[in-house]
Amino acid sequence: MSALLHIAKKEIRIAFRERLIVFLGIIIMVLLGISLFAGFVSYEQQKEIITKTENDKRQEWLNQGDKHPHIAAHYGTFAFKPKTVLSLFDFGLDAYTGTSVYLEAHNQHEFMFRPAQDHSSMIRFGELSSSLVLQVLLPLLIIFLSFSSYTKEKESGTLKLLMSQGVSANAITWGKILAYCIILLIMLMPFFVGLILIANATANNDSLPDVASRTALLITIYAIYLFLVITIAVWISMKSLTGRNALLTLLTFWTFFVILMPKTVANLSESFYPLPSMREFKAGIEESKLNGLDGQTPRSVRMAELETEYLEKYKVDSLSQLPFNFEGVSMQAGEDYGNMVYDHHYEGIRAIFSKQNRLGSIASIFNPFIATQHLSMSLSGTDLHTFNHFENEVEEYRRMLVRRMNNDMAENSKYGEFYEYAAGEELWEEIDGFYYTAPTFFFALRPYYLELLSLLAWVVFTIFLLKRSNKKLKPIHG
Amino acid sequence: MLKSVNLTKKYGNFTALNELNLSVKEGDIFCLLGANGAGKSTTINLFLNFISPSAGSATINGLDVSKHDKETKQLLSYIPENLMLYPNLTGMENLDFFCGLGNKNYSKQELENLLLQSGLQADFMNRRVSSYSKGMRQKVGIALARAREAKVLLLDEPTSGLDPKASNEFSELLLEMKGNGVATLMATHDLFRAKETGTHIGIMKQGVLIEHFESDEVSFQDLEKMYLKHMHN
Repeated sequence: MSALLHIAKKEIRIAFRERLIVFLGIIIMVLLGISLFAGFVSYEQQKEIITKTENDKRQEWLNQGDKHPHIAAHYGTFAFKPKTVLSLFDFGLDAYTGTSVYLEAHNQHEFMFRPAQDHSSMIRFGELSSSLVLQVLLPLLIIFLSFSSYTKEKESGTLKLLMSQGVSANAITWGKILAYCIILLIMLMPFFVGLILIANATANNDSLPDVASRTALLITIYAIYLFLVITIAVWISMKSLTGRNALLTLLTFWTFFVILMPKTVANLSESFYPLPSMREFKAGIEESKLNGLDGQTPRSVRMAELETEYLEKYKVDSLSQLPFNFEGVSMQAGEDYGNMVYDHHYEGIRAIFSKQNRLGSIASIFNPFIATQHLSMSLSGTDLHTFNHFENEVEEYRRMLVRRMNNDMAENSKYGEFYEYAAGEELWEEIDGFYYTAPTFFFALRPYYLELLSLLAWVVFTIFLLKRSNKKLKPIHG
Repeated sequence: MLKSVNLTKKYGNFTALNELNLSVKEGDIFCLLGANGAGKSTTINLFLNFISPSAGSATINGLDVSKHDKETKQLLSYIPENLMLYPNLTGMENLDFFCGLGNKNYSKQELENLLLQSGLQADFMNRRVSSYSKGMRQKVGIALARAREAKVLLLDEPTSGLDPKASNEFSELLLEMKGNGVATLMATHDLFRAKETGTHIGIMKQGVLIEHFESDEVSFQDLEKMYLKHMHN
């Protein structure tokens, strides 16, 4: 057995004899177990509720009876954001983005039922999720496990004895790192096995198309993150003169990287790129609908131009002479213009979100915690980009539904006979229910290339740092 | 076995060791005497390659320690003034661990024998080192030196703070190892122990080896006088 493995074995043996470490380890394992169980229960409950409500709403749509298609377009339906199985691991933005939306003609409604609305302000500190335990609490355990990895050896003199045996600093450092990695592996194994089993059991029935790949990537990302925490902790211990100094430095680093910096970046991004208030946003949309995007083309002018265009095109004197119901055409034209207005205003909002996220991504270069947080949400399907993808799919569905209603009205009813024409179940059945499938992990990770690069760069950087410090390591100064 | 040629260590303007020339052959026990700061520990640390020389060289078995760190360390065993082992491991586990580092793998029985031969009571072998006295820890150090089959022993005031019985036992173990051809360089304040166990004695002052003789050449009284004379001048 090499010296490195001997050192790893010794470190593991000593760690398991430290009561505080064993106690903290058990607490972390219990928290992970609880978060996994609670997450699974919540996932199952929400899935059941969403499936039932989706079926109810579908039946309501199909059994709404005979009515005018435009009234049906206003009767509308609902779309529900399915809970992804990996959201039980990382809740991400689920509490803030809303779970369902009402779909009807003319209006792109905002999402309803944001769980955060029903919670106290304490939710801002984070719900107990597995990702929270792994991202925030586990680094604390690593700090307590490894802050004295070198300082204890230096303070007690065992480092002199170790190095007098001809053991290289490289073997000592990597032996310690290997030991802490194995300890974490032992501690996290039951949790990850549980997660894999749950993910596997629900994979065929989930909105994520590639649960297995995403789970594997999640585990890889967390392995890299925890490896970084371990290497940085060992490095700081190596560079510190006393255990107290090492612990204080590490706790300062933890507070800065895990608490202060992410909050500061979030606040700065809001200050640099402020979002308009909901009132301003809605007023802007109404104004554009009323007076046009240029502010000079009201609806009446747009409709008059459309009428003239159709009369000239079909060479007829009145709208009733057209071979279709012009009301259906004008409804759809109004819908198309409304869509353009929504796209314009939502693009503005998304551009601001994108700038805010960009700042977060840039910050992740300097902070592997932020990088891990972003990648974890993305792979769990609970980030903003996945939500935007869902929002786009829903909006596309709404537009398809309304277009189909307007086309039916144009094709099958007569001009001026609004209340006389009624469509029935045959038309309602033409509209499939809305069932969402999230994008593949490759698509989901695309906006996070900086975060991926950040983690890789940190790994290279810490290895370089350790290599450099190992060369200089002597048990005494001089 | 051990040799230094013009070995010098400077810290800025301060010379901790000045052109030390000494040689320790197989079966020799070379005792370095001197007050605190005389350069004894600096010499040991230079042979251990824990610090780099400002000039000159330290060699073990003909190999420069600063150029052949791994090879030379495989030949030596080091026992500091206060041998610290891992307190959460037992004496056996500590010995097993340090033997393993040098690719020396022993059975449980062999490890027990090594500890017994080094004077550690059987009752204590499987107790955590945190309950050991200093003398017991030094015995584990001797057991380690035996286990590693060290050709060179570097001792930095190993009997300091030991009670007379433990100190005497330690000397007996050194003499036993001497009989096996081990070359020992020992820094010590203990004149009596140096005269009793040493084959050669050197007196150091302010980084310089000012006296160097075979221990048989002087009586204990003469050694004491010589030492005190140098310390007071």
